[in-house]
Amino acid sequence: MRPYRTTPGRIIGKTILAFAGFMAVFPLAWTALNSLKNNVDIITRVPRLVFTPTLDNINYIIGRDSVMTGLYNSIIACGFAVLIGVVLGLPAAYAVARYPNRWAGDIQFFVLSLRFLPPVAVAIPLMVIWLQIGLYDTLPALIVTYSLLTISVIMWLAIPAFQAVPKEIEEAAFVDGYGAYSVFWRIALPVAARSLIGAVAFSFVLVWNEFLIALMLSSSNAKTLPIVASELSQQGMNVPWGILNASVVLLSLPPLLFLGVLSGFLNSVFRQKKT
Amino acid sequence: MRRRSSLPVTFLVPTLAILLVLSMVPTLYAIVIALQNRELSSSDYSWVWLSNFIDLFADRRFLNAVWVSVKWEVVTVVATMVVAIGLGVLMFEVASPRLRNVYCLLFIIPVLLPRVSAAFVWKFAYHPLYGIATYPYRLITGGLIFDPLSKPSTALFAVASVDVWQWGLFFAVIVLKLLETLPPQPIEAARLDHASRWQIHAYVTLPMLKAPLISLMFVKMIESLRSFDLIYVMTRGGPGVATETLDMYAFSQGFIESGKVSYASAMAVLMMIATVITFTMLWKRVQA
Repeated sequence: MRPYRTTPGRIIGKTILAFAGFMAVFPLAWTALNSLKNNVDIITRVPRLVFTPTLDNINYIIGRDSVMTGLYNSIIACGFAVLIGVVLGLPAAYAVARYPNRWAGDIQFFVLSLRFLPPVAVAIPLMVIWLQIGLYDTLPALIVTYSLLTISVIMWLAIPAFQAVPKEIEEAAFVDGYGAYSVFWRIALPVAARSLIGAVAFSFVLVWNEFLIALMLSSSNAKTLPIVASELSQQGMNVPWGILNASVVLLSLPPLLFLGVLSGFLNSVFRQKKT
Repeated sequence: MRRRSSLPVTFLVPTLAILLVLSMVPTLYAIVIALQNRELSSSDYSWVWLSNFIDLFADRRFLNAVWVSVKWEVVTVVATMVVAIGLGVLMFEVASPRLRNVYCLLFIIPVLLPRVSAAFVWKFAYHPLYGIATYPYRLITGGLIFDPLSKPSTALFAVASVDVWQWGLFFAVIVLKLLETLPPQPIEAARLDHASRWQIHAYVTLPMLKAPLISLMFVKMIESLRSFDLIYVMTRGGPGVATETLDMYAFSQGFIESGKVSYASAMAVLMMIATVITFTMLWKRVQA
């Protein structure tokens, strides 16, 4: 790259970028700050940066049964759905990537097209079905429904990941007498692991953040954390804002834990394209 | 050489069978429900065939919801792409490699947030009296009140801004990565011809990235269909019906206001048909 001189345009560009970077995190940081405030420090016309911090909001959130149940439900529902997605999605993706057949294109399109389905269109009939079977408002119903999401997303992202594994390595393993299955287990999975972990993390974030289906498929027992958090606000402004802010922070933490993994995943996807 | 193996069958068939069942059962059942007159409050129902669909086209609130959905789709997709390309090119031009990494990390944060969280964060920020985003306005005007979420003319844009905050910044990272994958020779050649930096991007780099950018737009169009969480938390479709998209209206018909599950399902079926046809056609074009 040729170095450029410092021009007014460059300074403006840098300022815009810095502002965008600020905008990316500031609203969230402000919410996190508010979760440490007493109500008097939040309900002010002029935003307050200096205040006496309190842990009351966070303690209240952690001490509430509904929040803890929501957290538990979210972890179980997302955990199992992702597990099913891994067990069913990864082998299928490998088969599409490595054993080309006439339908490979159609299969990929089918998997993608599941993402076109409006969530309402899936949630309404499923609600009626689960009600009739007697599984409405249970975690198994949620897990099965989420599996549709996780399997298809993991498949979609894992196909290119498996295709990026150098064919020569697999061929060499075949020559050494490995069977098709052990090539998958011992060669393809470990070599593609980095990208695959990214794909799995992505599917977890997707179902963790899911709202509409959880809202329609649960009424009391199976509510996930996003539903519980949204209900806190329905009690209007009577709920101290600090508590609401604290629940938003709790809800946002798990996906942010994957920030490193997912940005590494992005990098590896584009490095593959380059070569 | 790869010998014939049972692997493709054992790996593919169970997964595809499960995906087919999980997707076709609800889809077909949605159509069945749409042809009946089920309500949440009772278990009796009868077949009414197409009357739900006929009612829909006489329902002005439904037509409004279609219009709001189209507006939402256009506003969020266009704004996201503009923000993404603008910031992506800026990062490519003025940021050092170290700084690029920092920005990339920062710009991914919003999209990772649950939509419910993002919606709350901005609902607080847009609060007319105590919000941080409305504070500059209060400061400049000496305490006038601006409530973007409860004015019909601004509500949709206020909610859309959250969507763009999440996706526009994220896509900027992808645009940067795409620019970085380009070979340097055409850019150098354009520089030797004294093209300005903006001309280089307008006439050389962005046209070279046409195909991936169109795919990116395609992804955003699909993701924009999922507006429900933001709207549900921030405005509930209000003020009035100013931000009532199709999924919001279907939800309130089916579950909040009247419990008309079949009517809601008819709406969902129409949405499904429209999106599947549109996106299948677009996909074939993108691929071709």
